[in-house]
Amino acid sequence: MMQFRLEKRREPSKVMLYATPVAAVVLTMIVGAIIFSAIGYDGVGAVREIFLTPLTNAFKWQDLGVKAAPLIIVGVGLSIAYRANVWNIGAEGQYIMGGLAATWVALATHGMGGWWTLPVMMLAGVAGGAAYAAIPALLRTRLNVNEILTSLMLTYASVQLIYYLVRAPWKDPMGMGFPQTRRFASEALLPNILPGTIVHAGVPIAVIVALVAWFIMSRSVFGYQMRVVGAAPHAARYGGFSENKTIWLALLVSGALAGLAGMLEVAGPFQRMVPGFPTNYGFTAIIVAFLGRLNPLGVIFAGIVMAITFVGGEVAQTTIGLSSSATGVFQAMMLFFLLAGDILVRYRLKRVAPQGEARA
Amino acid sequence: MTLELAIAILVTVVGASTPILIAAMGELIVEKSGVLNLGVEGMMLVGAIAAFVVLFTTGNHYLAILVAAAAGVATSLIFGFLTLSLSANQTATGLALTIFGTGFSALAGQGYSARPVTLLGPLFPSELAAHPIWRVLFGYSALVYFSFALVFSVWWFLKKTRAGLILRAVGENDLSAHSIGYSVVGVRYMAVMFGGAMAGIAGACFPLLLTPQWAERMTAGRGWIAVALVVFASWKPFRLLAGAYLFGLVMTMELYAKASGGPLSVIPAELWAAMPYLATIAVLVLISLRRDASTNAPACLGKPFLPSN
Repeated sequence: MMQFRLEKRREPSKVMLYATPVAAVVLTMIVGAIIFSAIGYDGVGAVREIFLTPLTNAFKWQDLGVKAAPLIIVGVGLSIAYRANVWNIGAEGQYIMGGLAATWVALATHGMGGWWTLPVMMLAGVAGGAAYAAIPALLRTRLNVNEILTSLMLTYASVQLIYYLVRAPWKDPMGMGFPQTRRFASEALLPNILPGTIVHAGVPIAVIVALVAWFIMSRSVFGYQMRVVGAAPHAARYGGFSENKTIWLALLVSGALAGLAGMLEVAGPFQRMVPGFPTNYGFTAIIVAFLGRLNPLGVIFAGIVMAITFVGGEVAQTTIGLSSSATGVFQAMMLFFLLAGDILVRYRLKRVAPQGEARA
Repeated sequence: MTLELAIAILVTVVGASTPILIAAMGELIVEKSGVLNLGVEGMMLVGAIAAFVVLFTTGNHYLAILVAAAAGVATSLIFGFLTLSLSANQTATGLALTIFGTGFSALAGQGYSARPVTLLGPLFPSELAAHPIWRVLFGYSALVYFSFALVFSVWWFLKKTRAGLILRAVGENDLSAHSIGYSVVGVRYMAVMFGGAMAGIAGACFPLLLTPQWAERMTAGRGWIAVALVVFASWKPFRLLAGAYLFGLVMTMELYAKASGGPLSVIPAELWAAMPYLATIAVLVLISLRRDASTNAPACLGKPFLPSN
């Protein structure tokens, strides 16, 4: 019988690093089809609708762009933080706070806005997200409190803040009792960049964010610091990089980008603040960051893949009646396969001759 | 406050705390073995839907608890295989497990929402708990007594048994434990599966003990609070018990603030709903100020086991 043994590679395999995410997507489609068929769904149909229809149906492309934009922006921020080994998993909360800060500007300037309204909302969104991420940063650097738990707990709290604001102080008096703010004035709404579609200015912004982040991460001292502190904290200390400063930067940058995404969503697709504003982009972006191999350029592709599953999930809901939660299962499977594949980056499979034959 | 009210509060607090306590006890054992499983929330959701479906179809509460435990174990094995057999990153895998559990439970629970079931009744006959004072002792369901027994058993296991000593050795110094012949990966698999079983039962507490129905994400972050509590308790079972009840108190305070009509009743409902999460942060800050806070953490926590050969 043939036997295999794992042998540690001297250096992580570049080929495997980029081949495993692709393999994870393909495996998810194959295994997903099998599992969903086994538990009584139309497995092949589910995979076709979720992964292929959004690509083959040109009418769905605009949805892809609109869904991918926030995922890419948040995912780029998280990829920078995770590179530095800072586990910000509260991007959803920072996204919400960015959206709320932008909403505050939009409501406060309602009726007296101008060309400056959107830039100010954008700044508010960035500041809101960064400020919310500053709480875990402060607690981690000053008191060594784990940022995973604090950033996540703050997310749950921020959801309640939306409910409170849209129920009481920010409620639209003309909203027929619905808990939501008034629709933003036109100066506070993102312009459409392709007439006749739903593609808003957030889509090119997402691509620009990713390109700038890629340039900074691969070409600047900042990027080097993030990577070194994450990969080799001891070496980083000898090299004079402050660990605390890195934690601050990682959380502020990821929080600011999540906040920016929140602003773009509320001023784009939502056009007002509603209780349903949190749509889990902040959590899905965690998968996006990993699937993109914590590389901003990879995040663009991963964001598109994840957007495909979202759009496809909606398609599958209407065409074959599959619950939209199936999308979450497919997304998690993708991450499982990716994490399982990580071992191939660090180890190689080596064929070992059975002991009897070895002597011959 | 009357005695009756005080006892009513106590009984509600115990009920609200039970799922957190059970899940946290499981995670305590997992972390003692040196593994950090952040998938508690996901495993709880899988347990909750498993328990609900079994209860809805058979009406048998105890079968529902058993199946929930098994479902929790099955889910935890995904985590175990990835992190222990393939030495994948534990933080990322735990997050993935929670995302998976959230999606899977929502998918499996499709069509089960707004279907009523019956809560698990008290274990002892109601005559025993007739007087309010006796209610404190005899007024709970079997799951609550299970949680009491669990706290004591975990403490006894860790302190007094050889197996507990091996578990702690694996968590404190995996290479030494390996070199004297213990299977580090084997011990960790057992611990992860135990954690999965407890998370599954904790999830079952939601439809069986708290709200007799299925709702997506019905565990509402309680699994994460359980993870925080383990840190809060510095990995000590009895401190964990105290911490869980403290949280139960925070979570049920709203009811009494509203009922009493005092100054606390002006606090908006949303702030009350946010309270357990804010309290978790406050608690994490408080313990970080204590000197022994992190020194009690298992030395190998979260690190993959990589023997040189």
